[in-house]
Amino acid sequence: MTHETSQPPASDPTAVRLSARQWLCTLGLSLGFAWLLPVAWTGFESFKPVPHYRVPYELSNDYWLYERWLGQLPPDAIPVVGDSVVWGEYTAHDGTLSRFLGDATGTPFANAGINGLYPLALWGLIEHHGGVLHNRRVLLHCNLLWMSDPEADMQLDKEQTLNHPGLVPQFMPSISCYRADIDLRLGRALERRLEPFSWVRHLQQAYFGQESLPEWTLADNGNHPPSYPNTYRLLPGVKGVKLSAEAVSPDRGLASERHEPWLANQSSKVNMEWVTPESSRQWRAFCRLAKRLQGRGNELLVVVGPLNEHMMNDATREKHRSFRSTAVAWLEGEGIRFVVPELLPSEEFADASHPLTEGYERLAKRLAQESVFRAWLGQ
Amino acid sequence: MLFHTWTFFIFFIATIAGFWVLRPTRFWLHWILLASAVFYGWWHPYYLLLVFYSTALDYFIVGWMERGPHLAKPGWRFAASVALLVVVIVVGLTAPAGWGGLAAAIGFFAAVLAVGHWLRSRRNWLLVSIINNLSVLVFFKYAGFVIENLNTLLARLGAGQLPSAESLMPPGWEYVLPVGISFYTFQSMSYTIDFYRGIISREPSFVRFAAFVTFFPQLVAGPIERAKNLLPQFSKIPHVKLVDVTDGVSLFLVGLFKKVALANYLGLYVDRIYGDVGLQSGAALALATFAFGWQIYFDFSGYTDMARGVARCMGFRLMLNFRNPYLAVSLADFWSRWHISLSTWFRDYVYIPLGGNRVDGLNLQRNLLITFVISGLWHGAAWTFLIWGALHGLGLIANRGLEQASWWRDRFPPLAKRLVVFVFVCFAWVFFRAESLSQATTILQRIFVTGWADPQMPLLLLLLVVSVWVYQFVYESALRSWLEKPPVKVALALAMILWMLLFAPGGTEPFIYFQF
Repeated sequence: MTHETSQPPASDPTAVRLSARQWLCTLGLSLGFAWLLPVAWTGFESFKPVPHYRVPYELSNDYWLYERWLGQLPPDAIPVVGDSVVWGEYTAHDGTLSRFLGDATGTPFANAGINGLYPLALWGLIEHHGGVLHNRRVLLHCNLLWMSDPEADMQLDKEQTLNHPGLVPQFMPSISCYRADIDLRLGRALERRLEPFSWVRHLQQAYFGQESLPEWTLADNGNHPPSYPNTYRLLPGVKGVKLSAEAVSPDRGLASERHEPWLANQSSKVNMEWVTPESSRQWRAFCRLAKRLQGRGNELLVVVGPLNEHMMNDATREKHRSFRSTAVAWLEGEGIRFVVPELLPSEEFADASHPLTEGYERLAKRLAQESVFRAWLGQ
Repeated sequence: MLFHTWTFFIFFIATIAGFWVLRPTRFWLHWILLASAVFYGWWHPYYLLLVFYSTALDYFIVGWMERGPHLAKPGWRFAASVALLVVVIVVGLTAPAGWGGLAAAIGFFAAVLAVGHWLRSRRNWLLVSIINNLSVLVFFKYAGFVIENLNTLLARLGAGQLPSAESLMPPGWEYVLPVGISFYTFQSMSYTIDFYRGIISREPSFVRFAAFVTFFPQLVAGPIERAKNLLPQFSKIPHVKLVDVTDGVSLFLVGLFKKVALANYLGLYVDRIYGDVGLQSGAALALATFAFGWQIYFDFSGYTDMARGVARCMGFRLMLNFRNPYLAVSLADFWSRWHISLSTWFRDYVYIPLGGNRVDGLNLQRNLLITFVISGLWHGAAWTFLIWGALHGLGLIANRGLEQASWWRDRFPPLAKRLVVFVFVCFAWVFFRAESLSQATTILQRIFVTGWADPQMPLLLLLLVVSVWVYQFVYESALRSWLEKPPVKVALALAMILWMLLFAPGGTEPFIYFQF
């Protein structure tokens, strides 16, 4: 602050001042690395899905892995696309609809569901990460529960914490309960369009505890007082989540405490408001999704429900059936093949929409007997 | 709007596009002014009122300063100021509760203007400018601190309490510290002072002057530009060469890396340790203090690099603000490398007017201490900032004393001097970073009292910081030419880009210096 020292030189204190040619070289190399690294990574990172594979719960936001999983499906395998009903919220990976469909038909089906999705996000998933789903048979599950009340349909103005916020439309159509600043929206919009960004997300999800590398090196173990297990770890010491098979979870499968009929936890019947198909954001998103899949040359079959009508009161059941009729009419109008399965027994539902393992098995057997389904399969 | 956000990216693309389209016309400067207003108003449109007030005031005052002494009579402007004062008094007395504070502010403004028009000397107009600018700054930045301390004093004396600063705002108006107020107030004031001193001539165009005060790259966190550097650049259409764009983008990349990859990473560790100082070991606190020293350097110099890069892409050159400060061999050297635009501002407008180096020993030390205490308070309204400034003032005095001794000056190794300066600067940062005086003393106490415990600083973070320090050492050594080889430069740029792409934490942390 005093004027007793020599004057600083006018030059900047860094040598990183690139000429136009050097910038071109840097940008070329950066782009090359950015696009090649994900490709090279697939050679480096082993991914051999176990039978009846589904994307592990911990990697639900790893859309790059999802894309890779779809990309290496055998040509004859039929992906079953949907939310947690397809993924199997209460079941083990080998107790889901896709597994039992395979058993019932002799045709391989693949679990292409992800936990935590809903039609608005499912549309984003398929639009941006499901490009490999073209010119093949695709089974799409339609979960009408998302239209059963204004909150689930995202019609409320009150801010909601969304699963998979990166998959919902960031700007248009506007979702009033989705509050994110413009930077976050722009970032998310870019991430799903540019593969290098979704690959970086994969690294974070799979190796760095769903955080960036710096955050991971500082993460604590949750104890009090905390300790920091990653402090002295460098990249070679990183252990990731298993990609090819999910770890056995106490929350899912036949041995799980959660794997029990809905009646064990709930005695009274519920009332659901239901929104109208005309006003439903989720229904519109589903329609967009179905048409998108159809537009990619896929032979699409939509399975509508079943929802657990046993837990609905009479008025709710009426509204559900009315909405379902509209959905069916729309599918007919669009020339999309569909099946509306018969209601499963009460004890085979875990909640309003998720079947238990036995429910999936029964549902698969019933679907396999449907003539539309058999025709779609070419059997 | 922060530089390291997608919003700014889009804003900048739009600004550059408009700038190129309008460059052949006389509206390019209007476009820059509009872009600056959008950039600043993005935080809070109400901020624009204040920056407009500062700008308009200094613009008109310099005009009156130029013409004032030649006017024989006070004239209609004096009458208008008095009339405004009377109206404000009447309105203030009859206004509903809550509007008194605003009425008092306008009344004060009118009274000062009336006095200025009555006296009409250059010196008085300068005082009017300084009083007005500092009043705004003091109200928004220091009123809470001053009132809180006065109320503590009054409570001990058993006297009544002063109203809070918030209560002086009109109903529905928020009492917030406008981003960058210290920066643009000082920049605007320097114009008035330089005109008074005859260093620059009056700027006739309001648009040009407003563009100078509000130029968006440096509006909120500097560099605090001088009129003689920036205003002439706004006088003619900038000739943008390819090298301006490549240098600008290079500067932006370096700044972005400093902020996103280094400062934000260091901030995570510092926040963890400083967030719970009572539980931390001395080693962790010491390391976190060093880490904060680097964090604030990367954060602030990163902002400056980006600001200079953005300006450079449009053909404007902003002054250098940082020059590897942690390689300084003395505190004076440190201040010639750290926040250069502020330290030269204080040198020119506080230290030298106080007598500077021209006075004898004790007075010189007094000048140093006063200058640094004011500099400390410029950074924030808290005792911790005052102590931080005083520590630097005292450190500088001690350093000057050491420089008289031949064993220090000639025989003490430069590397050791650098370490001493670095440790002292970091020691002072404790007061800068601490949330209160008691927290600062706790930190210092625990650094020296508690036994050894693993500070658990990530090895990766340590390697990154050491790499940058080594880079700076090499850059200031005979090996510099090696760093300037094209393959090395390309490799460094590539490494920065890939690091940010792969590893940078998400989120958009604000810059530390925005709070000043």
